[in-house]
Amino acid sequence: MKNIIQKCKEIYIKNKIIIVVLAAIITLVLPVLVPKSYFMGIMCRILMYATLAGSLNVINGYSGQMCIGQAGFFCIGAYCEAILATRFGINFWIIIPLAGLVTAIVGLGISLPTLKMKGIYLSIVTLGFSEIVRLTALNWESVTGGPMGIKGIPTPNLFGFEISNSKTYYFIFLAIAILFIFVTKRVVKSRIGRAWLAIREDQLAAKSLGVEVPKYKAFNFMYGAFWAGVVGAVYAPYVRFIDSTFFTLDEGFNILSMVIIGGQGTLVGPVCGSVIVNLLTEVLRPIGEWRMVAYAILIIVMMWWRPQGLVGASDSILAGDKGNGKKLEKSKQKGGGAHGVSVRS
Amino acid sequence: MEYLFNQIINGLCQGSIYALMAVGYSVVVGVVGMVTFTHGEVIMIGAFAAFYIFQAFGNNLLLGLIASFSASWLIGMFVYKVCYERFFNAPRHISLICTIGVSMLIKNLAQIIFGPNQKPMLNVIENKFFALGTIQISLVQVIIIITVVVLAILLSLFINKTRWGISLRAVSQDKSASYLMGINVKRTAMIGNCVGCGFGGVAGMLLAIYYQTLSATMGSSLGMKAFSSSVLGGLTDIRCSALGGLCIGIIENLGITITSASFRDVFAFGFLILILIIKPEGFASKKGVRP
Repeated sequence: MKNIIQKCKEIYIKNKIIIVVLAAIITLVLPVLVPKSYFMGIMCRILMYATLAGSLNVINGYSGQMCIGQAGFFCIGAYCEAILATRFGINFWIIIPLAGLVTAIVGLGISLPTLKMKGIYLSIVTLGFSEIVRLTALNWESVTGGPMGIKGIPTPNLFGFEISNSKTYYFIFLAIAILFIFVTKRVVKSRIGRAWLAIREDQLAAKSLGVEVPKYKAFNFMYGAFWAGVVGAVYAPYVRFIDSTFFTLDEGFNILSMVIIGGQGTLVGPVCGSVIVNLLTEVLRPIGEWRMVAYAILIIVMMWWRPQGLVGASDSILAGDKGNGKKLEKSKQKGGGAHGVSVRS
Repeated sequence: MEYLFNQIINGLCQGSIYALMAVGYSVVVGVVGMVTFTHGEVIMIGAFAAFYIFQAFGNNLLLGLIASFSASWLIGMFVYKVCYERFFNAPRHISLICTIGVSMLIKNLAQIIFGPNQKPMLNVIENKFFALGTIQISLVQVIIIITVVVLAILLSLFINKTRWGISLRAVSQDKSASYLMGINVKRTAMIGNCVGCGFGGVAGMLLAIYYQTLSATMGSSLGMKAFSSSVLGGLTDIRCSALGGLCIGIIENLGITITSASFRDVFAFGFLILILIIKPEGFASKKGVRP
């Protein structure tokens, strides 16, 4: 497994330009080659969830915070778009960054009370937050339409082109995904990204070296929330009807399972996870309700054998404590029952 | 005014159930040393076990209590084996994600086995009301509060007086030191986890009796409420988290008198966020109780 990934990496580094050009051509020509709307629908889903999982990966994988309620941010972005477009008739292209900004500000509000505490508080607060958002969307009828949802969200328009079906919408999702990966790559390689990685590996050490931990953590959270909001804003006119049932906790767990299965802490990971989970969804359609059970088992198996995910960052703390594990095995071999239980403070 | 008093009584009753959940949660967190997401599902399993026992053997409250306790105990063993035993030395987030996976697994399996719809709970306790002046208390509420108090006293005896309880406390203070003192740390941690889960299961049964409904998806918000209550009490302090549960119950019921009942969960989580801003260490003023 490790060797295969290593070899793939080597091949990629050697023929970087050829592979990127090839991938670009394939993705651009795909709607012409396979013009079936069913297939394009799946492609749209894959791209959308790749961006969404990527935005969660920025939070979970790069700075080691645990956010679970990504569906809440997704919900805020989608409702933002729907309300602004139907009530005020604002242009789709203006709403996208606007929705992202609103979501980022909400994200800041969520992360503020938990900045000084360890990850677990953040995860439960995000979980509760996701439920709060969904319940508010369900009950605040004058703004969100309550259980009836918001109907007839106008489709976007680009230079006179009406973008209404999945074949044309594919390009919007593609553009968002490419933009996300490009920007995130730049951010991760910058000073900010290095600060995030330092926080993930050892918060105390990062602090002692002069990294302003709360500031970077808050920024990290805002950045992830921003992209989730953007994807939500793009998603709303695609389905043309939204209500609160799209954004349950299961949706959040779905996104989380993509990040975990694909791999945390790399840019390829969430894309990979999105492809796997969405294809699995199509393959497993006959078993219906057992699908979530399959995801759950996949998550547990992933945590047991490869905690950083399929193509995750294997040289990080996400991959578990390798040194300690080896010691444990040795002590087991020697002492039989010596478990060597020690607590990491 | 009358309405307000009745709401406070309702809040007390509900709060005592939350207190039971929170006590279970803090036992789990204290002894195992890792935070769990499966508590809501454990609560749900307890409720369903009691439901089927009531259906099969009639309205015997004690039998239902034992059934829900033991069913949740078994689930607790499963959770321990899958999520904790391998990961005592690993970074925390691994076991955390593992508990999320197990929680998804149990929830969806329960939806398949028990059916996705809400079920009406049987009328285990007859519907009687006592009037104290203008305030009304139902028999259900009285029995629930008595059950919770008795269980809390039993737990406190178990933890303070028995040999197992002493080793539980030792493990929750320092795992390696208690390992050196000859305590079987892994087994003790499992027992602690199972006791906490069992209390959660009993709370689930009481909740199902109180609301008269139960469903496979009831767990997720309950688990979060258990967490909120035990954060309010300092996360590992058992007595304080019981107090936290009472507080959350009363605040919820006062909140829904102001607005509508559909905002119930919003109040619980909003209160949690507020607490984390103002006084993140909860009622327990001990330093260093952060997990």
